[in-house]
Amino acid sequence: MTQLHPFTLLAIAGALPALAWILPSPAGGLSTAAVALGLAIAARSFRTAVFTAAPFWLFLLLLHDVPTTIAIGLRLTTMVASFVWVVAALPAPRLVEAMVAAGWSASVAYVFAATLSAAPVLRARARRIADAQRCRGLSPRGGLAQRLRALRALALPLILSALHEVDERALALETRRLVPGARRTPLSPPSDPPGQRIARWGLVAACAAALAWRLK
Amino acid sequence: MPIRLLVLIPVAAAISLALSAAVDAVALPLFLDTTGTILATALGGPVVGIATGVVTSAVNSLRNPTFWPFVTVQIIVALYAWIAARAGLFRSFKTAVPAGFGLGVIAALTSTPISYLVFGCTTTGGIALTTALGKALGLPPLGACFFGSFVADFGDKAVTFALVTSVLHGLPRRTAARFPWALRAIGAA
Repeated sequence: MTQLHPFTLLAIAGALPALAWILPSPAGGLSTAAVALGLAIAARSFRTAVFTAAPFWLFLLLLHDVPTTIAIGLRLTTMVASFVWVVAALPAPRLVEAMVAAGWSASVAYVFAATLSAAPVLRARARRIADAQRCRGLSPRGGLAQRLRALRALALPLILSALHEVDERALALETRRLVPGARRTPLSPPSDPPGQRIARWGLVAACAAALAWRLK
Repeated sequence: MPIRLLVLIPVAAAISLALSAAVDAVALPLFLDTTGTILATALGGPVVGIATGVVTSAVNSLRNPTFWPFVTVQIIVALYAWIAARAGLFRSFKTAVPAGFGLGVIAALTSTPISYLVFGCTTTGGIALTTALGKALGLPPLGACFFGSFVADFGDKAVTFALVTSVLHGLPRRTAARFPWALRAIGAA
């Protein structure tokens, strides 16, 4: 499954929740949830999918009757399991390669990849800033005003330091000629056989047909 | 789009994602997940803000898939922040905080139908509990869902606007002048 083209994986992950919402409940939701959970098992992400979906069932039971809980719960389980599966089955660099190979602008691929790589770096920096501010006597406890002041002391250095990096990053990109609209040649583009392209369009057609059938 | 604004998009999106660590440290019931969108809009204009919002939702969805349906809210937040920046509402806390409260109402109005139709008002534990409280107070299902979203968004967006105002004023003038909207947003141009 992981050898499929990234766009095929995304098409499956998109089609399953769409079908879960379109097809009549509970049979539609049950079948899509079963497929999505089966995929999650295959990608060894079943536990993550279950732990992510479980709170929704709890809150749904708190707010709705049993039939509504089952209907919405199965849809949400499908959505959660599909996303969890696709995240486990599709490494981000492979998706970026596929986007570049498909003719997407290198800037779009950069934005996506740079966010993925910058987020953990900034999260680690946020934790370091929190530790440093605590060493300087910052107390993140107390009343609302004190906590808001503490939040400002933590967030401001993080955001300002990130903004100061913008110029450095821009210079690095300019020297590599990654200007908006530029196209790149991917190093190892994922293979995209015609069968998979047809399957992707087939999934789109299946969703459209299911929608037309439901609206009839 | 100039390269500096292109670079601003992932940096601003990463700021939104990283701020959860700061929020966890102070244990406040805030999301601050639109900080990057508002900041990018105030610095680079609506296109940069919308792109930041979409990227934030997409990358957040990889961690928690419940974020993706709310991408519309990010786009509306970017458009609202652009109007606020054009009007120079980031010039002081006195103008930014009420603007943030306004955004809280708009964000709650926008997110309620998504939360109601897609999640049955169970987006997060906090929203589910406040929705249950709304129901217990006798509100109709959609009204209770709006109550839940409103409680979550109202203060969050005001704090976010105040935080962005602090950042814009904390930026050295020379750095701020490199972004097309920064000085106008703080009423300095």
